[in-house]
Amino acid sequence: MRLRALIYPALGCLLLLCAWEVLGRYGLLGKTFPALSQVLRVYEDAPRRALLGRSIIATLGSAATGYAVGICLGVATAVFAHLVPLLRGGLDRMAVLVNALPVIALGPVLIITVGREDAPAALAAIPVFFLMYSSTGVGLRGASERLGMVLRTLGASRWQQLAKVQAVAALPSVLSGMKVAVASAMIGAIVGEWFGAPSGLGLVVLNSMQNFQIPLLWATVIVIAAITLSGYGLLTLGERAVRSRIGECDV
Amino acid sequence: MATLALSGVTRSFLRRGARGQRQSFAALGPLDLQIADGEFVTLIGASGCGKSTVLRLLAGLDEPSTGQVLINGQHPRDLQAQHSLGIAFQDHALLPWRSVEGNLRLPFEVAGLTACAERIGELITLAGLEGFEHARPAELSGGMRQRVAIARALALRPKLLLLDEPFGALDAVTRRRMNFELERIWLESRPTTLMVTHSVEEAVLLADRVIVLTERPGRVRTDTRLPFARPRSSQLMRTAEFHRLVDELTANLEIA
Repeated sequence: MRLRALIYPALGCLLLLCAWEVLGRYGLLGKTFPALSQVLRVYEDAPRRALLGRSIIATLGSAATGYAVGICLGVATAVFAHLVPLLRGGLDRMAVLVNALPVIALGPVLIITVGREDAPAALAAIPVFFLMYSSTGVGLRGASERLGMVLRTLGASRWQQLAKVQAVAALPSVLSGMKVAVASAMIGAIVGEWFGAPSGLGLVVLNSMQNFQIPLLWATVIVIAAITLSGYGLLTLGERAVRSRIGECDV
Repeated sequence: MATLALSGVTRSFLRRGARGQRQSFAALGPLDLQIADGEFVTLIGASGCGKSTVLRLLAGLDEPSTGQVLINGQHPRDLQAQHSLGIAFQDHALLPWRSVEGNLRLPFEVAGLTACAERIGELITLAGLEGFEHARPAELSGGMRQRVAIARALALRPKLLLLDEPFGALDAVTRRRMNFELERIWLESRPTTLMVTHSVEEAVLLADRVIVLTERPGRVRTDTRLPFARPRSSQLMRTAEFHRLVDELTANLEIA
């Protein structure tokens, strides 16, 4: 049963990759759709491999910075809104507003405020902030109301209620937010690099497209997808572990 | 231990009327009620008569619209701050990520005390949960969870114990057994206790006094002192006097 659960997806992937190779090799989808083998050859080419390596480091740096900053700000703001209910309405609307701003439109503004080099990190931080603000808020409010009543009756302070119950109950939701935010941070960083960052995967994507280096373009996109998927997968494992550790809140 | 006094207590809520305008409607009172030190009182009444509201007022979770709620001459919030209240609900409200022991430590942590292993052990024995110290709530039966919740309510030796339908979600057999368990647990320290229940039999079996509330807005309809000695047994439930009292109180509940 377990084996079958592994075999079918593996077979499916293999089939897709074969289809890719065949479609590319015979040029069935046009010149911009290269064969898989052609794309993989990019990774064997030393100068291009070096280029990709440098770019990965640059993009990962900005994405990780934006991701970390967005998580810290988002979680902190959500906790603050939770502790000061008076401000919650306003903070909710502010977060929605920040999220509604199109990232592309913000680019030029960020370049003149934080500069070309930091624009990718800033653009990564914005959607991460919003995702973490809302997932943390949902998690904090999702704690059992009865449990809150028991704690208040026992004489727990607001802070104790947060530390003993709500923060723990919010963990699965926080991790689930972090999982979704991985892709947002990567998108933000890559788009941010289009506004003239000195290096990064976004820059490689843009340059290879404009110079018609089709296999390099595809090779870069595969790298981006691989990074995003591994982050997502890692956090899925983390979320699962936390959920089973915390148990279902069926109270 | 505590003496409890509700005088002229009312509670009204705002709700939207037929045309969307805000209307105030009375949920409770005026209610006058005194409970003496160490008394076990059960509160029964039709759904929506404000039984649970009385409990929330005493727990300091809600404020009366008019009137006064005093416990030993103090506001319930003061007792909250002194960690002198214990409460248990129909849903056990245990921390699902903590073991039985961990859940029993919670009141001590909240009060800024270190829970000594001896007291935790005492509570586990009291709840009859030896061998389950490290089990999570999900691994316990419904009756066991309720016993943990009640033990947690008693952990800090509260002056006032509040029970809101603690056995409402249990099957009839377990519920009966839990009634006797509760009495046994209660007799160890005899805190002043107010319990809300839907079951007249349970009310008569456990209480020193049974108070029947009227329909909304809830007021005291009858206040009956029970003549039975403690500890009570299942024998008692087969006596004519027990049945007469249950019938009488049920009739009081049904008066329109």
